[in-house]
Amino acid sequence: MTRTPRLTRVANRGSLRRLAPHLGFLATLLVAWQLAASVLDPLVLPSVTSIVAAGFDLVASGELPVALGQSVLLLVLGLLIASAVGLGFGILIGRSRVAHWTLSPYFSALFVIPTVALVPLVLIWFGFGMTGRVIVVVLAGVVPIMLSVSSSLRDEPGELVEVARSFGVRGELALLRTVRLRAAVPVIMSGLRLAVGRAVVGMAVAETYLRLGGIGALIRDYGSLFQTAYVFAAILPLSLLGVGLSALVGLVERHFQGWRS
Amino acid sequence: MRESKLSLVGITKSFPLAQRRSTDTTRLQVIGGVDLEVAENEFVTVIGPSGCGKTTLLKIIACLLPADSGQVRVDGRTVTEPGPERAMVFQSFGLFPWKTVLDNVRFPLLTRRMPGAEATEVAMTYLRKVGLERFAHSHPHQLSGGMQQRVGLARALATEPDVLLMDEPFGAIDAQTRELMQEELMRLWQETRKTVVFVTHDLDEAVLLADRVLLLSPAPSRVRQLVPVDLPRPRWEYDVRAHPGFAPIRAELWNALRGDLLADRAGQAAS
Repeated sequence: MTRTPRLTRVANRGSLRRLAPHLGFLATLLVAWQLAASVLDPLVLPSVTSIVAAGFDLVASGELPVALGQSVLLLVLGLLIASAVGLGFGILIGRSRVAHWTLSPYFSALFVIPTVALVPLVLIWFGFGMTGRVIVVVLAGVVPIMLSVSSSLRDEPGELVEVARSFGVRGELALLRTVRLRAAVPVIMSGLRLAVGRAVVGMAVAETYLRLGGIGALIRDYGSLFQTAYVFAAILPLSLLGVGLSALVGLVERHFQGWRS
Repeated sequence: MRESKLSLVGITKSFPLAQRRSTDTTRLQVIGGVDLEVAENEFVTVIGPSGCGKTTLLKIIACLLPADSGQVRVDGRTVTEPGPERAMVFQSFGLFPWKTVLDNVRFPLLTRRMPGAEATEVAMTYLRKVGLERFAHSHPHQLSGGMQQRVGLARALATEPDVLLMDEPFGAIDAQTRELMQEELMRLWQETRKTVVFVTHDLDEAVLLADRVLLLSPAPSRVRQLVPVDLPRPRWEYDVRAHPGFAPIRAELWNALRGDLLADRAGQAAS
């Protein structure tokens, strides 16, 4: 057997060392959970083992993969549309005083309405299918994106606009393309993160309350059956979905802001 | 007489003051009236008290700001928009932080529709001229202030302008590096023979670099003095400050400037 190269061994050791505290904490948490569950009613706090078993069952029966697939599709589609709409209106509102005065109030109003309150109206207009659900996600996510785009475009990025103009960049669109949007990326990224959070919550709530499908419906179904272990087993992928989308946003951010390191 | 490369005729500029009421229309007259003729290949430095509109004047020449009245002419033609015959070097360097050094220098070339490969070649040539070809793929934040300004200089020169406009380019750079940059600038100027308008608040620097020094009065500014600097070139081959001709020129400018500053201060105290 060949000896692993020295560098690889050192790297492996390093990453293991970094992971150790996380794994240690997680293990402690799980042990504490299991102990607590052994004392409490399984309805209130199911044991770790029963949650794991429920999870396997959901995967085997195909319920979880289907639900997860629906939720992922819904979120990705909804967020893409929300990004496009938010970017478009954000540019308009950010660069035009008139647009700002006329349109902003509607976005502000939308922002403070809980997504769940919008759902009945959307369902009446668009039905229970994918269309209605995507629109719910769009409505949940569009405002933070619009706000971050418009507010960052309203500020002048230092003298960079002047620099661009001095070298012959002419016109609002060209300046947007070469300087303004690129300089606004950090703020827009934070708006996107917020939008992801709101979209995941909005989608989960809509699915749960109205049994629309996806993970939310799973949670509701098993909740109404008082199968708490299954409820936990369904919530976990939901959180991972949120984390996964955040990581995706992080990747996009690193693409644009990688030069900072 | 040969036509001037750059002409400023009757330039005035005012800015609106912060308004208490929308009916307030008071304006701050920054430039009261400036006329200047700059010959081809001439190096003119501009100094004056704070607020006299030195940077504003430069931006008007670059057509980044409109003048209230008057005209800017290059080769006899009136200019109203930024153009390839003028290029600016900025005090805070003005580099795009997300672009590499090379892409920063290529930027004006690509804006003027030069094909990518040619732009890269030209950009590398000018990066070599300022000695930064090894940093072509670094980002601005990885470079020191002096190096960033050299990138700014390479970027301006790469467009091969007739007129180089420099807005206190060494203001944000430490004193030692500044002296090296001054020498480097003079060498590049000697080599490329551009017409230069160089704004600074440093009197020594103004005399060191210039063929002529333009001293502006306090706002509303006018041409207070226009002093020729006859000191021999190249000026990096000897200690310019020790040259007998240096002190009288500097003294003449400083006396006028100092007088203006004190009178201005007294005037403000009285009002």
